Amino acid sequence: MNGLRVVGKSVPRSDALPKVTGQAIYGADLSAPGMLHGKVYRSPHPHARILSIDTSRARAVPGVGAVLVASDVPAIRNGVYIDDEPILARDKVRYVGEPVALIAATTPDAADEALHLISVEWALLPVLDDPEAALRPGAVLIHEDWEHLTTHAELTRRENLCGYSRLATGDVDEAFRAADVVVRDRFRGHMVHQGYMEPRAALARIEPNGSITVWSSTQWPFDIRDQLAKLFSRPKEQVRVITTCVGGGFGGKIPLGVEHFATLLAGATGRPVKMITSTAEELTASYPRQGITVEIASGVRKDGTLVGRRARAVLDTGAYAGYGPYFASNVTNQLAGPYRIPALWLEGVAVYTNKTNCGAYRAPTAPKAVFALESHMDRVAQAIDMDPVEFRRRNIYQEGDVAPSGWKLEGVGLGETLEKAARAIGWGEPLPPWRGKGVACAWWATGGGSSSVVLTLNRNGTLSLASGNVEMGTGALTAGVVQILAEEMAVEPEDVSLITGDTDATPYDFGAQASRTVFSVGNAVIRAAEDLRRQLLALAGELLDVKPGRLEVSSGAVRVRGEAAAARAASYAALAEAGLSRGTPLIGRGSYIAPAPDYDPSVFTTHLKPYLASPSFHTHACEVEVDPETGEVRVLRYVVAQDVGFAITPQYVEGQIEGGVVQGLGFALSEEIVMRGGHVLNPNLTDYKMPTILDVPPITTILVEHPAPLGPYGAKNVAEPPCIPVAAAVANAVYHAAGVRVTETPITAERVLRAIRARATSALER
Amino acid sequence: MSRIPIGLDVNGVGREVLVDPSRTLLDVLRWDLGLTGTKENCLEAECGVCTVLVDGRAVNSCIVLAASVAGRPIVTIEGLARDDRLHPLQQAFIKHGAVQCGYCIPGMILAAKALLDRTPSPTVDAIKDALAGNLCRCTGYHKIVQAVQAVARGEFDGEGGLS
Repeated sequence: MNGLRVVGKSVPRSDALPKVTGQAIYGADLSAPGMLHGKVYRSPHPHARILSIDTSRARAVPGVGAVLVASDVPAIRNGVYIDDEPILARDKVRYVGEPVALIAATTPDAADEALHLISVEWALLPVLDDPEAALRPGAVLIHEDWEHLTTHAELTRRENLCGYSRLATGDVDEAFRAADVVVRDRFRGHMVHQGYMEPRAALARIEPNGSITVWSSTQWPFDIRDQLAKLFSRPKEQVRVITTCVGGGFGGKIPLGVEHFATLLAGATGRPVKMITSTAEELTASYPRQGITVEIASGVRKDGTLVGRRARAVLDTGAYAGYGPYFASNVTNQLAGPYRIPALWLEGVAVYTNKTNCGAYRAPTAPKAVFALESHMDRVAQAIDMDPVEFRRRNIYQEGDVAPSGWKLEGVGLGETLEKAARAIGWGEPLPPWRGKGVACAWWATGGGSSSVVLTLNRNGTLSLASGNVEMGTGALTAGVVQILAEEMAVEPEDVSLITGDTDATPYDFGAQASRTVFSVGNAVIRAAEDLRRQLLALAGELLDVKPGRLEVSSGAVRVRGEAAAARAASYAALAEAGLSRGTPLIGRGSYIAPAPDYDPSVFTTHLKPYLASPSFHTHACEVEVDPETGEVRVLRYVVAQDVGFAITPQYVEGQIEGGVVQGLGFALSEEIVMRGGHVLNPNLTDYKMPTILDVPPITTILVEHPAPLGPYGAKNVAEPPCIPVAAAVANAVYHAAGVRVTETPITAERVLRAIRARATSALER
Repeated sequence: MSRIPIGLDVNGVGREVLVDPSRTLLDVLRWDLGLTGTKENCLEAECGVCTVLVDGRAVNSCIVLAASVAGRPIVTIEGLARDDRLHPLQQAFIKHGAVQCGYCIPGMILAAKALLDRTPSPTVDAIKDALAGNLCRCTGYHKIVQAVQAVARGEFDGEGGLS
């Protein structure tokens, strides 16, 4: 784009300085005078009735200020779509780690000591840790009262099935009859944690008038406020949530973490209470990415044309539904993939099991569903003896194509990403033995929801932007949005200060989630800048005695269009002063909510995500080496070609892509919350293996820019999708290196070696 | 256990604190001295966010007893910028886009400082070895390596104002 001064360039983010000097304050750093430390007593059993709880010894520990059990807290049940979760377990527990009691004490040690003195009498119940078993008729019910639970959307549910969604178009049976080949596969994806370095933390205080103040490193302060208001039967205006720096979130800091517990303990003790989760709590009782089973079948003609697909994804939601019903919907979009397929029957199923409540982790449902989809795409290509890149080339969405539910796609850069990624990885070039290359494609939505901002011109000519969004680490606010504002108001980025994430002091925002911040807050800022410019031009017109239509903003001043003379200009500082002296301060306001595209609702059954708004498009490619002796997979190099629409801050867009790929590699190769019988076997960072600096390959990033018509300067979602196609690209490369197809993540050395040996054995038997 | 007085030398300043001998350096830095730039997470020396320098070496302060480092020079992230000038590593991390959520960054910068103070021109492999104990979940590490390399090349030896 021509004539742009600030956007499209890499400028330092405004929060980098406090972060490199140690001055940035995160949730974990909070403290307050007289503060107590809160801890949670959690269930040691995956499924058990609570017969009695004895807290008398815990209460007697010196320094303990309060011990709370279910009968001490509101009897309300909470949830996103289904109100199924109590604040503290009342009659029974449904997963290991479920909160049963709360303790506040003067020191963390005293709280720990009291924790160990709580005594609960249990009656153990059968454990459901397999979603397929949970779906069988006669299975033990995780929620015996499922029929009586309050719901907040039209859902299909029955017993342990807590969400069912379908996307169906065309006649799949007919398509399969007309196909030359129908390929059927089954894949499994595993449970992983978001791995943010700052544990979830909150500090709560009850104000003298009884209102609640909570400081938290949440991604979505307005939702935390709303939930606290609901749990404690307060008007929302009597709850204030103030955000700190967020030490990584990746979706895990969207739901309530410990804010409600800190609030309860603050209420019971009359003192501020701080809570912080341990690594063991994070890995057993947080909101990880759920496990999945995908059955998928595609019909294809010999010329490579996909004619139909049937697929079913079963999501292991854990003990409470949370976002499960929504994920059951979203997964169908991922099973369709960014491909033209006339007949689809795609089902998503969310199932209760005796595990922690699974949640949102960076592009929720996509990495595991796309592992299945894109592994399957390679198998389909193989079945018709076609090159995997050529097969995708013949089926991918092109500009102007229509998505399954009838909405027209615009800004489709998928073809360009495919060609550029294939070229960069050297697709088709010969390789030595045990080396292989893999490719995988994906698409992802820009999140919707409402954003409002207030823009104030300060007396020194600088600008203050108030937004209820939160900087969660990406730079979307502290770089991207700041640059958009600087561009629109003709100032420098350092002339902009931010006030963010305070439910009393900043206007509503749907939060730092769903790769929506630059898009939604950016569009709100463009509107606020229009509003402010209009006011500035009107005032300057009066002062300079020039018609506003002849004026423009430039370099922090309003000037007469086309005139160089400084005398005919009013600086922002002078205008701010003039506005104040007249009692009309210069304040711009802007709001944005992305419009829904036109779609055909008849395609869907109880579906909560009927379109992918302003989608981004992706091709990943990698080269791996497999050790035939050990099965170990080494990723030698990695290529991402991502259609970002328009890169507002190219350096930080690259940073999102590099970080997303490395999270994807963790999911693909090494990370797993290992569970047996409802117990987590590796609740520590020694055995939960996130990639270190020694584990990452060189990553080539190629930015492709097919502007999103609604995006600010054409920008579309960036941050979540780089983690989506990674496991599939690696699995496909492993196939080409070793001739074995691993159908379950993570792609460990054990699984690869087992597959290599099985192949050798079957070759011998032939 | 009764508390004992110890003298800590933190960022060149002598600090007297009365501590339980079982308390960690991390705990004392953060809660007794208010130096929350040193971060806490796993508390078992796996993540590296609590890294500080003791005698110029990078240590995980979550597994070091405060009393055991009495009198020895300790450097935390708060001690790096001097006389309104950022340390070259701080400048380079900003310039190279190596900072996202920032929670690992104090530890990462101190681990890099320990390396460069001993080995001013390290290889890429040596940089990776030195930072292998510091997890970063945001960046994918590439821009961190680039930032350390740029400092090793002397690109940030000049001015680096705090404002």
